[in-house]
Amino acid sequence: MLEKTKNIARQILEEKKAGGILGLMKGQWNIIQPHIFEAPAELDALVLEPKWLLAKLAMGILRSSPENYKLAVICRGCDERALIELIKRNQIEKESLLTIGIACSQEQAALCLCDRPYPTKLDAGEKVKGVDPFQDERVREFLIGNDKQRMERWADMLKRCIKCYGCRNSCPICICEPCKLEDDVWVKRGVVPAEAITFHLIRAFHLSDTCVACGACQEACPVNIPLLYLQFSMRKTIQEYYGYEAGLDLEIKSPVLSGVFEGPDTDREYPAWVNSMRERDGI
Amino acid sequence: MHTVKMKNPKILIFACKWCGLIGADAAGKKRISLPSQFRVIPVECASLVEPDAVLRALAGGIDGIAVLGCHIGGCRYNNANHTAIKRMELLKDLLDTTGIGRSRLLLSFGTAHEDYQFEEIIKSFFDEVSLLTPLDPWLSSFGVIS
Amino acid sequence: MANISVFLCKCLGEIDHIIDFGLLREELSKNSSVALISTVDSLCLETDIEKTISLIKETDADKVLIAACSILSRGNLVVDCLVKAGVERHKIALVDIREGCAWIHGDNPEDASKKAKDLINMGIAALQHKEMSDDMSVAVNPSALIIGAGPAGLAAAISVAEMGYEVSILERSKTPGGMLKLISRCYPDNEDASNKLDPYIREIENNPLITFYPQSKITSIEGDTGNFTVHFSSQEKDSSIQSGVIIIATGAKIFFPTGLYGYGEIKNVITQMEFERQILNESLETKKTVFIQCVGARDRKRPYCSTICCPISLKNASRIAEDVPGASVFILHRGIMTPGNTLEKYYRDALASGVQFIRFEEEQPPRIIGSDHVEFVEVYDAITGITRKIETDLVVLSTPLIPNNDNARLAQMLGIEVDRYGFFSEVYPMHPLETKTDGIFICGSARWPVSSDHSIIQGKAAAMKAVSYLKQSKIAASTLSRVPGPKAGHACVNVDACTGCGNCVAVCPFDACQLEKLEGRYVSTVNLMKCKACGNCVPLCPNGSIQIPEHNYRMVGGMIQRAF
Repeated sequence: MLEKTKNIARQILEEKKAGGILGLMKGQWNIIQPHIFEAPAELDALVLEPKWLLAKLAMGILRSSPENYKLAVICRGCDERALIELIKRNQIEKESLLTIGIACSQEQAALCLCDRPYPTKLDAGEKVKGVDPFQDERVREFLIGNDKQRMERWADMLKRCIKCYGCRNSCPICICEPCKLEDDVWVKRGVVPAEAITFHLIRAFHLSDTCVACGACQEACPVNIPLLYLQFSMRKTIQEYYGYEAGLDLEIKSPVLSGVFEGPDTDREYPAWVNSMRERDGI
Repeated sequence: MHTVKMKNPKILIFACKWCGLIGADAAGKKRISLPSQFRVIPVECASLVEPDAVLRALAGGIDGIAVLGCHIGGCRYNNANHTAIKRMELLKDLLDTTGIGRSRLLLSFGTAHEDYQFEEIIKSFFDEVSLLTPLDPWLSSFGVIS
Repeated sequence: MANISVFLCKCLGEIDHIIDFGLLREELSKNSSVALISTVDSLCLETDIEKTISLIKETDADKVLIAACSILSRGNLVVDCLVKAGVERHKIALVDIREGCAWIHGDNPEDASKKAKDLINMGIAALQHKEMSDDMSVAVNPSALIIGAGPAGLAAAISVAEMGYEVSILERSKTPGGMLKLISRCYPDNEDASNKLDPYIREIENNPLITFYPQSKITSIEGDTGNFTVHFSSQEKDSSIQSGVIIIATGAKIFFPTGLYGYGEIKNVITQMEFERQILNESLETKKTVFIQCVGARDRKRPYCSTICCPISLKNASRIAEDVPGASVFILHRGIMTPGNTLEKYYRDALASGVQFIRFEEEQPPRIIGSDHVEFVEVYDAITGITRKIETDLVVLSTPLIPNNDNARLAQMLGIEVDRYGFFSEVYPMHPLETKTDGIFICGSARWPVSSDHSIIQGKAAAMKAVSYLKQSKIAASTLSRVPGPKAGHACVNVDACTGCGNCVAVCPFDACQLEKLEGRYVSTVNLMKCKACGNCVPLCPNGSIQIPEHNYRMVGGMIQRAF
């Protein structure tokens, strides 16, 4: 997969289809960091591991580049979805972006609880089967039990928060300046841990229809709060009721933005095992 | 066996001026007796109510929030209530994931514009919220923000 | 800064006999932003309102809080009086301590007083953060444009001209008259269609205020309420017209039931329109006629009733039954729709003249029997349960009116919507004939299938609505409200914070937001003429850049904080 990617990148540079390739470089002292490869010779140092979200970097690079500059990004599934969401939100111009799609390994998919560990435009690597997050033990731990148990478990996790804003900074979709989470009306300044209901749930809700489940928030969190698990239930609802997944299509907008109440009229239902737990425990 | 966990829950109601507030008013004109622990914020359209405001209210110690709007097809602002319902339903999902509970957010679109309807909704909402676990684990760690 | 005057209304004992005003005054006097506390017997009484206004004018405090009844009862009156006296609307807060407090907690005065105190504190928080929206005015072009010269369009044009305004009519075909030109008689008075049409046509020819453009095709439309520019080509010439309002009267078209009941395959199976044409050119020859209703209507594909086909069948069936000696006429139907007393009488008259009615069900439609021309119609009578085989020489199919092919294109040019069938969509509820864009109206069969009588009524109604715009020389955007009273405000974008994500553009029910390029990035701008301040954009903005100043997030946050 690495060789194929290098070849594709080399071809892009030689044919001048893009001014630079954004990917990971193994540099001095074996330190791995993002790098814009501008000459084919540099591509010898290209690596594809570890998983590193480049979407936000790409946005920043394109913002400060001249208007006709084209950037090619080596991206995994989640990265491509993030880039598509950024294009839909007018942060990146479609014409200035190229992608070199690489697939993730099965281990990576299991680590990220990813249900789509490959980009729609796949150039190198083999597709592996995605993972259903609701079957994972760790996720079930957070969704099992009655309201009281869930509440205590989440409160326990979220009170470790040191308000480093790492989750917001690393999330490729969080691009607002100024950000609501820094406004005193919503989130009290100078209070640590961050107020869970306003800080975390406002952020989680704003991403309800645009979260691409890349896991960057979780990986950035210095105290290991499982922030990604907040999104699963909302993503599943949108998928089931409107058939929409964030980051798959450049034209189709989120169903929350459409003016018609679409979707089946049936009662909401959680997966059977959650329901039975609620009935057993009673509320 | 349902045990009351909260004695006097605090309820905040966002009522749209064209349906929800009319029900509230009608209940007032009929002198219907209602529990007093609720406050009404009138809005032009239920679509003006931000989910973030609901979260802010919960963080501030309010136990239940109701959003009263017009029925589907009856919104004076060209079906703005459709998108409002969709995003509020999504918010209920998030509230459920975190154990805060979807029953803390009541959505009534078109079912609160008569006096007896408003009375029923308020009374049953109070009953429902009083059965829920107070939000202490979330709030006591950080202190209720004032 | 002490800048709020608070007026507590006793409502002649209704409020203050439950709520402890002493507690309220005590609490308010502790608040440093309250400059004046005054108790009034009944704010809506003229003497008290005058006293209030003079007190307000005396103090330096420019914001007013009224604690009285609900905004839906007398509260609105009080606010309007204050606005008329010069207090700015966004500097007034009305707190409901009567319907919302005293009257529903009468059995618990202590809690009611505490609630009133909290409600007043919420009102003060609201006043501290409420701001004023922008407004704009445009000059109105005092002329109207009518698209379509059928009965609806002609009636509308004449009504507008009667009021003294210039009118232009754009018509697709060579002559005015629409579908009325193609039929012989109108129901229920059986008047000749040409008699009905002639006075209208003469009027538009003679009236100097009316200009008629035949053979026109619209190419593009620009502008907004009060100032539309319509580009079109008429008889090979390109042209454009400016108008203050547009009335759409483009009518509908007939559905041709190819493939149903042998239409197009078996001779003498025709539509109602062809029947009318045969009458007009005197080529109709029939003695045994069968009319079949609901052909291609009230079924899964088109589940609506086209309202006019039953009366039309009664008209044509009665004509044959009365004029042709020894005629046998059948109407096969799934329910005869004749509302009102004139149409009911029309039905009974048809019965009396010998027309026979047989009811069939949707699952068992009649069967046409004949090889190259029709010979029999076999139908299962749903009421008697008997299958009848009727001898016939002509079968007339009643088909619905369907939307013109051009509707979607025209709607897009105008910025309005079409409904799921393709007819132009009006704003529902309580705004008949009005569309999403103020100043654009729909009438006649373009809106929904109707008879020529109703088209004329609707045309006149649309004209009157249009004139209410034309008679204002200037229109302020804040008056283009969809609710009684002025708009609550207008949405306002903080250009520095806007990320250009386009959420507000996608979700606005009135298409008021648009993205524009500013210094290399996209920002949203609000068209004040279209914005109705519903607030749908506010929750969708990721960082709150778009707000309604009279109900901004600081105000909501403040009210929530003081709620309990």
